[in-house]
Amino acid sequence: TVYDQWFITLFNIIYTSLPVLAMGIFDQDVNAQSGMDYPQLYEPGQLNLLFNKREFFICMLHGIYTSLVLFFIPYGAFYNLAGEDGGHIDDYQSFAVTIATSLIIVVSVQIALDTSYWTVINHVFIWGSIAIYFSILFTMHSNGIFGIFPRQFPFVGNARHSLTQKCIWLIILLTTVASVMPVVAVRFLKVDLFPTLSDQIRQRQKAQKKSRPLRSRRPQTRRSSSRRSGYAFAHQEGYGELITSGKNMRAKNPPPTSGLEKTVYNSTGWIENLCKKTTDTMSNFSQDKTVK
Amino acid sequence: MTWSATARGAQQPDNTAFTQQRLPAWQPLLSASIALPLFFCAGLAFIGLGLGLYYSSNGIKELEFDYTGYPGTSNCTVCAEAGQGRAPPPRCSCAWYFTLPELFQGPVYLYYELTNYYQNNRRYGVSRDDSQLSGMASALRHPVNECAPYQFSSAGLPIAPCGAIANSLFNDSFSLWHQRGPGGSYVEVPLDRTGIAWWTDYHVKFRNPPLVNGSLALAFRGTAPPPNWHRPVYALSPDINNTGFINQDFVVWMRTAALPTFRKLYARIRQGNYTAGLPRGSYRVDITYNYPVRAFGGQKRIIFSSISWMGGKNPFLGIAYLVVGSLCILMGFVMLVVYIRFQDQHDEDEDEE
Repeated sequence: TVYDQWFITLFNIIYTSLPVLAMGIFDQDVNAQSGMDYPQLYEPGQLNLLFNKREFFICMLHGIYTSLVLFFIPYGAFYNLAGEDGGHIDDYQSFAVTIATSLIIVVSVQIALDTSYWTVINHVFIWGSIAIYFSILFTMHSNGIFGIFPRQFPFVGNARHSLTQKCIWLIILLTTVASVMPVVAVRFLKVDLFPTLSDQIRQRQKAQKKSRPLRSRRPQTRRSSSRRSGYAFAHQEGYGELITSGKNMRAKNPPPTSGLEKTVYNSTGWIENLCKKTTDTMSNFSQDKTVK
Repeated sequence: MTWSATARGAQQPDNTAFTQQRLPAWQPLLSASIALPLFFCAGLAFIGLGLGLYYSSNGIKELEFDYTGYPGTSNCTVCAEAGQGRAPPPRCSCAWYFTLPELFQGPVYLYYELTNYYQNNRRYGVSRDDSQLSGMASALRHPVNECAPYQFSSAGLPIAPCGAIANSLFNDSFSLWHQRGPGGSYVEVPLDRTGIAWWTDYHVKFRNPPLVNGSLALAFRGTAPPPNWHRPVYALSPDINNTGFINQDFVVWMRTAALPTFRKLYARIRQGNYTAGLPRGSYRVDITYNYPVRAFGGQKRIIFSSISWMGGKNPFLGIAYLVVGSLCILMGFVMLVVYIRFQDQHDEDEDEE
């Protein structure tokens, strides 16, 4: 196998379990208030858009790509590699340590990219996992533990020798960047070209935080939230009367109001309503864009 | 619109920042102002690094000679033929003559390279006993089962050092001779055979078993050498610091290679008149051809090389950095174009707000 036995054993238990746990517990893409204001945010979960066969397939492709990068870049670099003092460092154990270190750094960077809500605990778990990896690595490759269990820890001296070579770190850096940059690029393009509601709300949140002093220019926002709450609670009387009377709407946007009117009175089922309203919201968004 | 209850129920969770997910947090957003400069800076840095690595690798000089003995390649063919089908093969010598047109900048390193040799084969790679090699007296005469069939000799004695890796120790030897002036006599170039193994290997991982009455031979009494060896392990070298399990060639060999084509350090040339390198002139390398590789289609080479700050001659890393750097810059441009084209839509949304 490419990796050290101990690395394989500890990988799932120690090196990668904590960041995932922290992400599962603490991650938020939008705050609680926005979650109440924009109930369409729950729609992707209901429609199973976030984890289905297509998403799984994409994850698998990503995994395959990363594995190829993680193996073949060190493979090519280790061909006839020699250390700075001339001694050979293209041995099996150095190869294993290089790939293992690159792997830990790549997965930690990957989960750092996926985390959108960094509490203190997230920081501790993610950077702590990398720190734990290095401390366990140096411990397992130390002279002391080799003296006690020579057969179980044959990697003695490896971390000290290979991780002090500049070219090994250059290999690790290249592997990390080659694995992570496509993910960053794809993510950026997706958010730019096909933003989801969650992305738009996050951007709005960030813009709101920045323009907090300009609170006087807020009538537009109020209008949009009244639109949302109008069809979230369709089973109550809601604000239908208020909206259809046009009292708090601007005169130049009658089409969205009429769309709302239609949906408020066509309640054939709650879910159906929700779907219709969501498509209306989406078309409202695009309508607003085209109107301008 | 927060849910505030007038009285706390028994099951209601605490209203702390931790339980209500209100911990202070940093919420980064992957925006254009972060991603685009990142891509361009990374791309430029990588291209610079790639160029540096590539030129550094190109500046390394290498001189190699394939002495496997395939017909028509060298005069070691005679030795190769003689050794066919006999193990251990008979002793044979051949020579390689070469001329250096200019000074080969020192310090010069002498490697031997083997191709098509899978030291990373799993069964081969586990066929060793690290306890025995670390000099533990209890393990010396009880080699571990993974060493089989090189665990006990035909006479039933435990083999020290056991295993297939030790048994296949590379035993060719080289000596370098320099001809002073045309038609002159050859002078031996001193080869520094010390310090070729890793420091931790030589001092920690491999240790001789405790001496018995001051003699290493007695310490190994009751064990047998591996079947393919000419000499027992305690007679590998006359130097007491370089014999037994701590013989430098043995230690270098036992550090198994990762890929089927590998080179291992044989000697450094940095002593006497040759500290500055190998001066121009004619040279001869005397090769003692012991190691049979033709049976599995392998090849043997001897290589003289210099070393730079990033190691030996390997253009792959430089080229890989250049490729990744260019791809980063390309992606950066694509993202910039996409961002600018859709900038208008972003502006419309913001005006609406």
